[in-house]
Amino acid sequence: MKWYKKGAVILSSLMLSVAIVAAGCSDNTKDGSGSSQPSGTGGNEGSGLKPYEVIMVYPDAPQKDNEKVQDAINDYLNKTYPEMNVTVKLNPIDWGAWSDKTNLMMASGDKFDLIFTADWLNFQQQVTKGALLPLDELLAKYGPDIEAVEKDYHDAAKRGGKLYGIHTHQELGNPQGLAFSKELVDKYQFDLSVFKSGKVEDLEPMLKIIKENEPGVTPLVGPGFPLDAYYGSSSTDGVANVAVLDIRDTSPENMYKVVNTYEVPRYMELAKLTHKWFEAGYINKDATTAGLDIWKKFQAKRAFATVADMDIVANLDIGVPMPMPSKTAVTGTHIIQVPLNIDRLQTGKMAATMQAISKTSKDPERAMMLLNLFFKDKELLTLFNFGIEGTHYVVKDGQIALPDGKTSDTVGYYHDNMWQIGNQMLNYTRVGEDPKKYENYEAFNKKVAEKESRIFGFVFDPEPVKDVLIAIDNAKKSFDDGLRSGQLDPEENIPKLLDKLKAAGIDKLMAEAQKQVDEWRAANGK
Amino acid sequence: MPTKKRTNPLILVVLSLFSLACIIPFWLVLTVSISDENEVLRNGYSFWPEKFSFVAYQYLIQDSGTIVRAYGVSIFVTVVGVIASLFVTSAMAYSLSRRDFPLRGALSIYILITMLFSGGLLPWYLVYTRLLHVQDTLLALIIPGLIGGFNVIIMRTFFTTSIPPSLIDSAQIDGAGDYRTYFSIILPLSLPVMATIGLFITVSYWNDWFTSLVFIQNEKLYSLQYLLNKTLMNASFLQTIANKAYSSTAQITQPLESIRMAMAMVAIGPLVLVFPFLQKYFVKGLTVGAVKG
Repeated sequence: MKWYKKGAVILSSLMLSVAIVAAGCSDNTKDGSGSSQPSGTGGNEGSGLKPYEVIMVYPDAPQKDNEKVQDAINDYLNKTYPEMNVTVKLNPIDWGAWSDKTNLMMASGDKFDLIFTADWLNFQQQVTKGALLPLDELLAKYGPDIEAVEKDYHDAAKRGGKLYGIHTHQELGNPQGLAFSKELVDKYQFDLSVFKSGKVEDLEPMLKIIKENEPGVTPLVGPGFPLDAYYGSSSTDGVANVAVLDIRDTSPENMYKVVNTYEVPRYMELAKLTHKWFEAGYINKDATTAGLDIWKKFQAKRAFATVADMDIVANLDIGVPMPMPSKTAVTGTHIIQVPLNIDRLQTGKMAATMQAISKTSKDPERAMMLLNLFFKDKELLTLFNFGIEGTHYVVKDGQIALPDGKTSDTVGYYHDNMWQIGNQMLNYTRVGEDPKKYENYEAFNKKVAEKESRIFGFVFDPEPVKDVLIAIDNAKKSFDDGLRSGQLDPEENIPKLLDKLKAAGIDKLMAEAQKQVDEWRAANGK
Repeated sequence: MPTKKRTNPLILVVLSLFSLACIIPFWLVLTVSISDENEVLRNGYSFWPEKFSFVAYQYLIQDSGTIVRAYGVSIFVTVVGVIASLFVTSAMAYSLSRRDFPLRGALSIYILITMLFSGGLLPWYLVYTRLLHVQDTLLALIIPGLIGGFNVIIMRTFFTTSIPPSLIDSAQIDGAGDYRTYFSIILPLSLPVMATIGLFITVSYWNDWFTSLVFIQNEKLYSLQYLLNKTLMNASFLQTIANKAYSSTAQITQPLESIRMAMAMVAIGPLVLVFPFLQKYFVKGLTVGAVKG
């Protein structure tokens, strides 16, 4: 009896002491995120807006001078837009920690306002979980400059008829094609104009010559294969996962027929081709090893060609060889690019880079106002993207350069985050880039926008077939790399894969995809 | 009872193979870290560097600010963490080992539960951020690892089996209070188990990167392992972005292969040094509980 009492006393005193410790700690460290500090803007009480701190969450490597830039942005906002009475807190999260951290922040209800998101970064789950706010009304009220450039491109971010993300205004697609080592092209005097056809098949004779005459050089370096974006973009319109429309099938009754991408004839053609090349020794055996960097092989002069996304340069067109500035800079050897395909306007691409507003935002209206500024204010964009003039960059001939004696490692604020927020077309270019980069983008965008995907604007709702999608992903996993890289014989393995997909419930997915496409057609009069 | 019988050769073979499996990757990391980067690019990894180059280490020394700082954080967290954790763990274990402690049964079950089930990531995160508010401080790296059910049980077993209750009785007859008994009698007698558990805790503090990932925002408080992990994760993630975000603007610079390996070498350092010193206590501390005499 007695020791029970004693125990109770001990226990309660223990709990008390824990509580005291907890309280003590909270006093010490509770500054920052919770409360928005007033930013010394006494004069703008008239506007009626209370001071508010917008917390911006985006993926980035840590920058030493993050706070300096943040202060500079706040000074600028305070000076230029006193009526908004807004400050920002830059909250970058490392790429490697991004998923874990943002998931925790959302699940625990941490307060933040603007967040970078994308279809490949769990956008769908974030919407389903209710972590993001619908933006339609906010956009209509506070986003005129966003609407000016992005009005037609909101469909991809809509779920259940409501808008959840704002697409960064930038290139609307990509060209895919072949990249070559100029040295070897010149040595063997290859005629690159054969690629006017846009067919990767025309590469074969060149690979053969390189294989026979250049021991030690990999003719075609992976992981960059015809079955990646080149196949996806030139042959299909993606509906959902493996469900696609075959755009080479132009018969009117099949225009909107959903098919399995592994059953598209072009897939088989390319898979056979890649397999043949692999068997012939044209492709490196370690092509599917994680972390392999294609361009380092070019740098070491051990590579002839690869399939890749092309730089968007002036007068870009299919089959026209051009220097490839970005990779030439990275590898230190001349790289030539020959585009084989240009994306059509696809809904999915519009969901690849977006800004959203968190449900935990205390003042979503102010977050939207700030986001809108990123679509109209070059100076704000420059501060965010390049830092403080004189400290982190200098302007040379209208381009951004590093201050003398500084490198990107030592300057304290250096990142390439232009594609994450705002209107990219307003940005400066860096020295070494084509000064007309963004004009090229505009021209290229026209080209992309000319050719809409058959189902531009369609967004698949995965909810009814969620389980099937997971099963399908698992079934694909053991085949995809092998087929892409040519290591597996497609004639033997595609039937196997199809069986597995069948067992995984692909029929359900196909039926659902077809149903949703049909409903979309009916609703949009296609 | 020490015997002079020869060891079974089969066991020798198995153990040698096992050691080789541990040493070979280590050796590979070492050679890559002192190889010429271009040779690595050209020929892949090899067991003997064709061209020695200490560029990677020079680079690390040049850019030593971050690494030295991370080293400091790791050492501080490990030292403070181990001392605090040993104290908390042994105090708990000792209490549980005393037959006259009233809550013995209930607390033992409570500890057992923590070994079988975990609260899950989210509650764990909420406790430290909402209740204790330790995010972005060194405390966040220390507190989560303070006590582990497994360690408590091992220690308790040690206390109950190798410290005779009569010793405690006689101490108390001589007038020692509970604290005096604990500090002057028990702790000096339990050096083996302290060393063993201490090593466990050291390793877990030293190797921990996940708490840094979750709680630390401030670059200056990154621990060494997190810095390392981050470098590798970022490198692999950047490739995904290149594929998915269609960012022709994102210039992707990966740390050179040899620098990554050199970082790994640098991070192993202290543990390799600590291990041999504590090893002699290892067997004793762990087995003493089961085998008497």
